[in-house]
Amino acid sequence: MKLTNKFTLWYFAIMLVVLLIGGAIVYYEIQWKISKVEVVRHQRLNDLIAQQIRTGGDFSGSPTRKRAAIDEIPAGNMPKGANSYYTRGVGWNPEFQANEYRLVVTSFYAINGKYYRITTYSYIPSFYQLLPGVVDSFKWILLVLLVLVAISSKLIPKYILSPLSRTLKVIQYFDLKQRKPIRLPETRTSEFKELNIFLKKMTDKALEDYQSLKEFAENASHELQTPTAIIRGKLELLMESDIQDDQAILIAEMHNALEKLSRIHSSLTLLTKLENKEYVTEIPVCLSELTRETLVSFDELIQMKSLTLKCHIEDNVYIHLHSSLADLLLTNLVSNAIRHNIPGGTIRVSLTKTGLVIANSGLTPQVPVTELFERFKKGDPASDSIGIGLAIVRQICELMNFNIIYEYAASQHTIAISFQPSIPASKLLQNLSFPLYPVL
Amino acid sequence: MKVLIIEDHQELARNINDFLVKEGYICEQCCTLEAAREKLSLFQYDCILLDIGLPDGNGIHLLDLIRTEYKQSNVVIISARNAVDDKIIGLEKGADDYLTKPFHLAELHARIRAVYRRKNLGGTYIVEFNEIRLNTDTFEALIGETPLDVTRKEFDLLLYFIVNKNRVLSRQSIAAHLWGDYTDNLANFDFVYQHVKNLRRKIGNAGGTDYISTVYGLGYKFNAHKEAET
Repeated sequence: MKLTNKFTLWYFAIMLVVLLIGGAIVYYEIQWKISKVEVVRHQRLNDLIAQQIRTGGDFSGSPTRKRAAIDEIPAGNMPKGANSYYTRGVGWNPEFQANEYRLVVTSFYAINGKYYRITTYSYIPSFYQLLPGVVDSFKWILLVLLVLVAISSKLIPKYILSPLSRTLKVIQYFDLKQRKPIRLPETRTSEFKELNIFLKKMTDKALEDYQSLKEFAENASHELQTPTAIIRGKLELLMESDIQDDQAILIAEMHNALEKLSRIHSSLTLLTKLENKEYVTEIPVCLSELTRETLVSFDELIQMKSLTLKCHIEDNVYIHLHSSLADLLLTNLVSNAIRHNIPGGTIRVSLTKTGLVIANSGLTPQVPVTELFERFKKGDPASDSIGIGLAIVRQICELMNFNIIYEYAASQHTIAISFQPSIPASKLLQNLSFPLYPVL
Repeated sequence: MKVLIIEDHQELARNINDFLVKEGYICEQCCTLEAAREKLSLFQYDCILLDIGLPDGNGIHLLDLIRTEYKQSNVVIISARNAVDDKIIGLEKGADDYLTKPFHLAELHARIRAVYRRKNLGGTYIVEFNEIRLNTDTFEALIGETPLDVTRKEFDLLLYFIVNKNRVLSRQSIAAHLWGDYTDNLANFDFVYQHVKNLRRKIGNAGGTDYISTVYGLGYKFNAHKEAET
């Protein structure tokens, strides 16, 4: 749920409670005020009547006496303290022939040694008559508030939260690998300011760390190269010298280990370079031709393992990819398909404008297939490879925005690469034109 | 052949030197751009091995000088930087080949020979050894007068052997030579064994001498003196 919607809902709930309480307050206040005003009026009327009595004379026809009752009471009945009180209640109104709410005000006077009780009354609107009016007005208030809140919840956040949304956008597009420090929008809101400062600090630190890590990796790999070359040269010179068989074995083992070291090294360097986006090109490469060439160059190896190659290669498949990367991609995939194959197995290659699919028979991998894309992960831990080929393949795919998947089913390892980001690689497997006809 | 090794790592330079001296080359070493300029102005070299990362500058700068003043020299760049740009710039500036460290010395030797053949033998592409004749342009091989039916890889292998005759060639070095940089995925050296086996069989069938022998534990060797023994 959006922050603004949450806020709006909360505000609305609070408003509802406030309005309900406010409604009750208004209702009782009005009601009390009306009574109060009436009581004061009647007290004045009672005073007037008392004045008339005091002056003497006949006022029985006077309009003041219309709803007044004057009783002479014994002195003992005079209340102590307040000399006036009022009562409210429903009473019969003969004028309207209906039961109405009646307010009765009774006052006591001592006039010329006599004691009087003067009672006047009038009919006022009852609570129940007021209630619909109160409810109605609050309904309107609520409606107006609702409309205003709805509109403002759309407009105000846009204005107030705009620095936040811009910050979010900047963060979203932040990429460590591009090595560009982020530039956050100016804001006067202190929380956003704080957030921006924090983000800026964090990303700058991340960039710095990334940079130093990369530099370390690059330097380490560069500095390792020369010693490796020296050791290799010495070993090669040593091989030429007059050596015993057991020494030869030792040298060969050293040579093997060194070879592996230098392979790991060059693969890591390559991966670093891929990450650094050192391979950019504007010229599309003809993948059809390259795939055929790659398959031909591996022909001997395929035959040595007695593998059956079936392929379907569409003509004129051009993609935007550096030619050495395309070469690397195909070489890695094809050699993988050969190496992890079983003697007498099959390799199937399908190249269309949308993607490339390479399937080969092979043993069940001992780790989940998705993990095989990780560096130094091998399907068979005992194998002699260093397990970096697929990591390179994935890196190239990531670089080019290709979608890649690896599937293992029914002794078939299948790698599918979609050249179009909009088409998932799994889709390629569905419209695959397998079984393919044999070629070469 | 006179070779100038411009390489700032003394040990590496000495390795190359030792290897090439055994081939009968005359080698000289220097480890800075300045020293290289001086040597070049004083002597003439058939081949220059140029390291790009030198303490006093980028070796690429030397290429301009070599191309204008000392045209007759072949240049093979040896670099620790396997950057595509370096390679392209190096070759565009007139280097004849580019080799990335760490390399096999036999590979370096093969490259030097190839570059030398291309430029100095007046357009002949024939490599001859006793009864074996290889045409590096058409990839045809002859044993005496009998054509040898070899695949491209076997041809490359034979050429590699002949260039590096009397040397122990490790399986790794052969694999790297035949399949290039991406041998990780072909670490299985059975392929090398297969190729060598096929090559020996084919030479034998064509009536040639079996010069190639297995060196226990290490690899193979092309024995130039074999004929005398048989």
